[in-house]
Amino acid sequence: MKRSIFLFAAFAAFAAAFAIPVMAQQADTVVSQARAAGLVGEQADGFLGFVPGASISADLRGRVDQINIRRRGVYTSRAAERNVTVNEMAAAVACEIFTGRIAVGERYRNEAGQWRQRTASQAVEVPSFCGS
Amino acid sequence: MRSHVLTLGLGAATLVAGCIPVQIQAPDQPIEINLNVNIRQEVIVRLERDAQELLEQNADIF
Repeated sequence: MKRSIFLFAAFAAFAAAFAIPVMAQQADTVVSQARAAGLVGEQADGFLGFVPGASISADLRGRVDQINIRRRGVYTSRAAERNVTVNEMAAAVACEIFTGRIAVGERYRNEAGQWRQRTASQAVEVPSFCGS
Repeated sequence: MRSHVLTLGLGAATLVAGCIPVQIQAPDQPIEINLNVNIRQEVIVRLERDAQELLEQNADIF
């Protein structure tokens, strides 16, 4: 009996130690679902945006804001390393996102600031600054 | 004598050439070179690898 409790505790400790780093590597499921539902979407500036007209819960808003803050941090540090502006680093990431990471059905905001929905038949409008 | 003929010929040629209307058309629109866009595009192409790396290393925010 005592032994099984010990084993359980050891397993729990093991799981706790590994669960958190694994979770940190995955995208926020709430945000992923909101993206699939067309409430939020990727923007040509490298940040997530709220689709106009969509009802955004306070929880979702907070999560998206948090992601954008962290993105800005990532862009800022890499921009400093490469001697480019934060906007340029963010735009470069946006190019990667727009050329392969927007799924059918998801909404995105193009370079002109207009919201679009990716459909099966129509390609994503990749920003002009992305190059070929 | 020969050089005189040559000079005369040259002069005539110059005269004729001067009479041919040379059409220089001004462009309808001013030539616009948007350096800003070019520089940006070049920078972004250079940052492609960094961008891919950032996406891979920060999968939780992308």
